[in-house]
Amino acid sequence: MDRYDIVIVGGGIVGCAIARQLARYDLAIAVVEAANDIACGSTKANGGLVHAGYDPAPGTCKARVNARGCELYGRWSEELGFAFRRCGSMVLAFSDGDRAQLERLRVQGERNGVQGLELIGPDVIREHEPRASAEATSALWCPSTGYVDPFEVAIAAAENAAANGVAFMREAPVRAIERTGDGGFRIVTDRAAMEGRVLINAAGNECADISRMAGGETMEMAWRQGNIVVLDHEARPLMPLYPTPTPVSKGVIVTGTVHGNTVITATAHERAAGDTETYADDIEALLAGARKLVPDLDCRRVVRAFAGGRAVIRGLNDFMIRRSSCRPGLIQAAGIQSPGVASAPAIAERVEELVREEGLALAPRADWDPHRCAPTDFDTASLEQQQALIELDPAWGRIVCRCETVPEAEIVEAIRRDPGAVSVEGVKRRCRAGMGRCQSGFCQSKVVRILARELECDPWDVPLEDAGSPIVYGPVKEGR
Amino acid sequence: MTEQAVLHTSATGGAVEEQVPSMECDVAVIGGGPAGMGAALAAERAGSQVLLIERNEHLGGILRQCIHPGFGLSHFKEELTGPEYAQRFIDQVKRTDIEVLTESMVIAIDREPDEAPGHLLTIMSPDGMRRVRCGSVVLAMGCRERTRSEIKIPGSRPAGVFTAGLAQRYLNIENLAPGHRAVILGSGDIGLIMARRLSLEGCEVEGVYELMPYANGLARNVKNCLEDFGIPLHLSCTVTRIIGRGRLEAVEISQVDDALKPISGTERTVPCDMLLLSVGLIPENELACAAGVQLDPRTRGAAVDDRLMTTVPGVFSCGNVLHVHDLADNVTAEAERAGAAAAAWAAERQRARQGGPGCASEPDADLEQVPLEVRPSGLAGYVVPARISDRSGCRLFFRVRKPVERGRIRITSGDVTLFEGKPRPFKPSCMESAPVTGRMLAEAHGEVTLSIEEITGGPCDDQIR
Repeated sequence: MDRYDIVIVGGGIVGCAIARQLARYDLAIAVVEAANDIACGSTKANGGLVHAGYDPAPGTCKARVNARGCELYGRWSEELGFAFRRCGSMVLAFSDGDRAQLERLRVQGERNGVQGLELIGPDVIREHEPRASAEATSALWCPSTGYVDPFEVAIAAAENAAANGVAFMREAPVRAIERTGDGGFRIVTDRAAMEGRVLINAAGNECADISRMAGGETMEMAWRQGNIVVLDHEARPLMPLYPTPTPVSKGVIVTGTVHGNTVITATAHERAAGDTETYADDIEALLAGARKLVPDLDCRRVVRAFAGGRAVIRGLNDFMIRRSSCRPGLIQAAGIQSPGVASAPAIAERVEELVREEGLALAPRADWDPHRCAPTDFDTASLEQQQALIELDPAWGRIVCRCETVPEAEIVEAIRRDPGAVSVEGVKRRCRAGMGRCQSGFCQSKVVRILARELECDPWDVPLEDAGSPIVYGPVKEGR
Repeated sequence: MTEQAVLHTSATGGAVEEQVPSMECDVAVIGGGPAGMGAALAAERAGSQVLLIERNEHLGGILRQCIHPGFGLSHFKEELTGPEYAQRFIDQVKRTDIEVLTESMVIAIDREPDEAPGHLLTIMSPDGMRRVRCGSVVLAMGCRERTRSEIKIPGSRPAGVFTAGLAQRYLNIENLAPGHRAVILGSGDIGLIMARRLSLEGCEVEGVYELMPYANGLARNVKNCLEDFGIPLHLSCTVTRIIGRGRLEAVEISQVDDALKPISGTERTVPCDMLLLSVGLIPENELACAAGVQLDPRTRGAAVDDRLMTTVPGVFSCGNVLHVHDLADNVTAEAERAGAAAAAWAAERQRARQGGPGCASEPDADLEQVPLEVRPSGLAGYVVPARISDRSGCRLFFRVRKPVERGRIRITSGDVTLFEGKPRPFKPSCMESAPVTGRMLAEAHGEVTLSIEEITGGPCDDQIR
């Protein structure tokens, strides 16, 4: 049986960030993930905003990690080579009542350590974002807000962790967690069992189950479901625009993305656990909300609608990041709902302290490399770089996804990296093939063929996403 | 054509020498489907040196997977399959001096910075990056299918939801079975063809569901593909929920009201492992937009003049990238006009260049009158072209937005009626055209409006619903 110092349950953005943070120490670390790929839960059903941190109530766990996480994104993006744009944001007010809320937000943000917050008038609003509604009478300007591609962040962190020795075990749902003789954990998964001295619960929406299995805190989860809509590329990405928040939610936000799309995020309804369906009413509400902020938005240009559940611990409505008070050795990184993406690097920092408190010797590794060599993006390379790539391998010049200009070589690389893509959606999350306006209508069959070739399987064994999602069923006619 | 290392001005403004091969031609045609081949052949016949650029390994475009018959009836006066129709053109192309680049994708169209208006294409291919200088460009990139997200079907996102064309590719090109039991949403031609195709391959086709109260495809396809195979067509219905986690398990179908909104209480669940969407085609104009070409919001194709020239001088558009056609034969006819016009433009440019710096203005720009703007009205959903520059006459192509049993074409300019047609039926599935003559245009000022008016009170009125 494999023995680890630390076993992290959950390969979402939080688990991957923690793995990356801890990989700098001389520790044996494993990440176990139930799905066949990392970043498959709430991480992929996310608007990608790096919220600045004025929103959480002061004194909460969220408040402690949000602003710090946002701050860390600059360095993480440089070291891990993922796209991050700190573009600033505005919370738009449409009435005097809204304006009073903005003032409250500004004070709250300052208490949370968010810098540069400023109330601005219509002229400055237009300067920051000419497409913002002319009806907005004032706004809270926040220079530190940014956006990322959330799965790129998780994948980058995972790749860097793997390169520094962290073991990733996918398709390994945890079935039982037992106590070992020395007080450690024996984690039984569908693939293998392993032992760990410290167990980190970063299981997202499954964190209550993991906590229960490990003998930790009892939690009841609420599935606060959100629908999100993605629009096609714009000539210039929009600055994130927020409505004045309500007590329940930040409201419908419109934002640009690192790839030039527009994202409208997110509705908030409590629904049955595991429900990732989109709903007609939610989509309508998103488009209506977005048009209120950006009246000229062309809602015909919807590329994709999706949904996910925020991992909300009922009654707490805050992150739970602490050493378990019930089970020594268990560290909770649980209830990571919004703003989970923004907070992830700071959650990882906080968990590092908690691991230290558990008494593990944190000896820095001499060979730790904080940098990840990011995959090459043909689309944004210069003409000279493109020419050099094709000379190296003609597959760099063979277009597969025309909407996002993804050549075959990028897809092959997405599969061969560690941990690499094993599904059509996994390829899409890594190199954007199929993410464009045609939604893989032109390239899906080619991506299936490339995956089958690289993974040495038949095309009918290539899943769209998880196991049990075959795209095709076998040859139509034999003998061809 | 010449290959050389060229000096060009980089985006940052400095001149850099690049080791990127460069070619020259008169007319560059982007897209090697029926439109591109038709345009290339016509330009070559007009005396141009032509380069035909195709993204895939082979010429033929989408026709390669359209293995059903019905092609060529008007162009070749015989019935061919899609690959046969394409092969006729491929053979013709091979017999000419047209240079063909396959596996080559144009990633940018730039105006050349020199005095003579020309275009600079940037192309990627497994052979490397390449630059092409040309006198004129024909856009013939075709169209793509509308997706599930664009029509906002709610529900889960399992495998088994395909656009009809993707399923057709799996079946006809890849020899891979996309499922066992299909529901088809949309009665567009690809959906109808696929209903028959799946039946022939032993798949069960539960039914075709259409949002509108009428079929969207050609009448002959409704008969040959559905009626002959006993596949039901359900009108005024849509899919309101996609059900299934990994793989599609069922769809929820609802009836819709007159405003096309689902009627609550009419939902029923239809088990299936495959949902095919045939819900419209959209011209693929992202490259054109990046080159500054203005689109007609109605067609989502370029706003062209009577020569099929876009708002960027020297850039022409034809086929499904201009507006979606119902027949490949009509694409060919339009493409031949675009190819000839692009050749004429390139020749004029060449003459202007040879005439010296004084003649380097845009060809015949001064000779033309102010173009007439062309607009649709009434039941006409769109009109191509969007402007008329040459007043000697042309044809106006259009579609109606809904079927009418008795409708009348009326072409007006201001208060003047230029033309009025006889009452007859019009269907959205059928692209129509009307000629405007030089005599009519002599009376036009500023704009020309083509309208289809429904004639009410006639004997056939009850049949409209």
